[in-house]
Amino acid sequence: MGRLHAEEMILNMGPQHPSTHGVLRLKLTTDGEIVSKIEPVIGYLHRSFEKHAENLEYQMVTPFTGRCDYLAAMGSEHGYAMAVEKMMGIELPERVEYLRVVFAELQRIASHLVAVGTFGLDVGAITPFIYCFRERELILDLFEMASGARLLYNYIWIGGLAHDVPPGFVEKTYEFLDAFDKRVAEYNQILTGNKIFIERAADIGVMTPEVAINYGVTGPSLRASGVNIDIRKTQPYSIYDRFDFEIPLGEGLQGTVGDSWDRYYVRVLEMLESAKIIRQALDQLPVEGDVKSAIPKRIRPPKGEVYFRSENPRGELGYYIVSNGKNVPLRVKMRSPAFSNLSVINEIGQGFMISDVIAILGSLDIVLGEIDR
Amino acid sequence: MIQSLANWILSFDILSGLGYSISWGLSLFVVSALIFVFVAVNAIVLVYIERKVSAFMQVRLGPMRVGKFGMLQTVADALKLLQKEDIIPRMADKVLFIIGPWTILIASVVTFAAIPFSETLLAANMNIGLFYVVSISSIVVLGIVMAGWASNNKWSLYGAMRSAAQIISYEIPVGITLISVVAVVGSLNLQTIVQAQAGVGNLFHWIPIPLPNWFIFHSPFLFLAAFIYLIGATAEINRTPFDIPESESELVAGFMTEYSGLRWALFFLSEYANATLVAFLVAIVFLGGWQSPFADYQGAQVALAIMTLTAGMWTAFVKTKVGRLSIYPLGLSLALTLSAWLFPGFAIWLASPGLFWMIMKAATIIFLLMWFRWTFPRLRVDQLMYVSWKVILPISIMNLMGVAVWMWLTGEIQF
Repeated sequence: MGRLHAEEMILNMGPQHPSTHGVLRLKLTTDGEIVSKIEPVIGYLHRSFEKHAENLEYQMVTPFTGRCDYLAAMGSEHGYAMAVEKMMGIELPERVEYLRVVFAELQRIASHLVAVGTFGLDVGAITPFIYCFRERELILDLFEMASGARLLYNYIWIGGLAHDVPPGFVEKTYEFLDAFDKRVAEYNQILTGNKIFIERAADIGVMTPEVAINYGVTGPSLRASGVNIDIRKTQPYSIYDRFDFEIPLGEGLQGTVGDSWDRYYVRVLEMLESAKIIRQALDQLPVEGDVKSAIPKRIRPPKGEVYFRSENPRGELGYYIVSNGKNVPLRVKMRSPAFSNLSVINEIGQGFMISDVIAILGSLDIVLGEIDR
Repeated sequence: MIQSLANWILSFDILSGLGYSISWGLSLFVVSALIFVFVAVNAIVLVYIERKVSAFMQVRLGPMRVGKFGMLQTVADALKLLQKEDIIPRMADKVLFIIGPWTILIASVVTFAAIPFSETLLAANMNIGLFYVVSISSIVVLGIVMAGWASNNKWSLYGAMRSAAQIISYEIPVGITLISVVAVVGSLNLQTIVQAQAGVGNLFHWIPIPLPNWFIFHSPFLFLAAFIYLIGATAEINRTPFDIPESESELVAGFMTEYSGLRWALFFLSEYANATLVAFLVAIVFLGGWQSPFADYQGAQVALAIMTLTAGMWTAFVKTKVGRLSIYPLGLSLALTLSAWLFPGFAIWLASPGLFWMIMKAATIIFLLMWFRWTFPRLRVDQLMYVSWKVILPISIMNLMGVAVWMWLTGEIQF
């Protein structure tokens, strides 16, 4: 008898699949349950942001930035506004800077809550997801108070904010922060320390610092590998240098440094750090002040180009803007963190099982809107 | 039950002309129909309860719109499923696709024939009842493999393969734990097993705590066996944390992916039928079946008083997170105790065996299964196999030997 003929099977995961976080297609080459090759196919959520930006005035681009990373619209708007302001050399009122930091960090918590919750969902725990969304709802209520919208805000404008926060906003934010720390303890009880969860996440998809840096991975996924790079600390923008906060790093508490569990836990810790920043920003927030700086009605940055990086919940968000002196940008290039983060999946996911690939994908926390742009 | 029903039919003057065989056949039909109705209604009720339990655990309300407290929600869902278009994929293996779900359903329904719900409520008193239940319920895997293969979908195939591997590996430890009980009783008859657990005795034979003679309190080994059985059975019925064959977020419902409408409803029906079956089996084999936990009505009164005391202490001293809800156990046990002391008839009813206790025990186990489902993540397929072959199986084999040694030590058997 000859050897049993066995061949690898190509398994199409997505574009419609509950665990691909949007419309991502993964071509898995599988040998039984073991995955030998992962080929991400993207482009199903392409909204031609960059082409749009080339045909719109500078102010008009702001709402489109939020549509890229729809789970962190405040962060995307913040980065874009800062990039244009850097080009034009606009000085901002103190109150704007503080409020922007409050919103960006609230957005970071909201985004990480989705990441943590859906990671739980990917490994089969349904209840933590609902708990996370319960808190996210409170943040969305705050956003709704300020901007009137719950997902895409168009609130952080070039040269300021759309309008000031309503009365009672600061008190409500304090209320949320007071409740939030206890809620994180709840997540740790139900998910972080769960034996099955640790079995599923620890030592899965280990990303060494070298691999992470070579693939351009940024954000919590990079810091989980033990690389201490956070633009808020290394190249402080806005007013981040005024706050006292830690950068959580992956320590391999349950397995190897840089495994899925680390990527998950770094996000949990980052939420607490963000809460710390918000508390400090609210304490220092100037009570009086304008939320719009004097800028011309038509924004015409001087000829030239700018690259501005900021730390989005998913990693380093870069805007490369070229201006030819008109009121429409010549080119807006967005360096989206999740795109680079996704590219590493073939490297770290090979040799694991199908269920692990889903866990790894969940731990990378991708948003397809931002990958396809 | 069939026998007595047949005799009852013949006892009417008008019907006595039917003859024994026709009356027997009629009774058989009635009893089978009753079992099927039980399974169907049970699924509808359990789906509602599961949704409410999960809602309670996830700080939400659950179904609230259809009927009072959404009680008719599952009925409405069932009606919707019946109306849906019946889709068979073009490339599917038609015959297997159709008989797959029916195989699963039939396998899970017919097991109920051997389950003694009370002293008299029992469709067929088989001398090999336990063996019958275990062997018939393992036919389910056949249906799952059929459904997964016939769907002609890679995800379904994965689900079916995982399911086959999982159910077969967990059947062994489950079987061995059940054998350890059979070793104590010396019979496979489920009714005999229940009857062997009557009365009150010491915990683990020697420790002087009066507890019912249930097998879970028989010896440390059977105590462990009960938990092993529960774990193994959870895996056998594909529930979280062992819901790997249908894992929603991985395999997109696995072998059920291509099914819709009525056929899909059949999977659901059998899933809940299996969960109920496991709950009943745990109750019968380890928790005394339809036996009351109280020896006599005084025992019931004393036990309830102790329960109230415990609940009171729990409420008073233990800080609980449920807040307002923490007084409910105290209120409930206080009400029970008061009525047991004031109305001895109630205490006597509590102390008598019957359907009530059987359902209470099964309901507790079902709640436990739901609790697992809504709090645990899912294991990976290789971890599942690890748990089965390297953890549970050795423990259950040791257990079986331990039970034998224990019985020799306590003098239950002599050589």
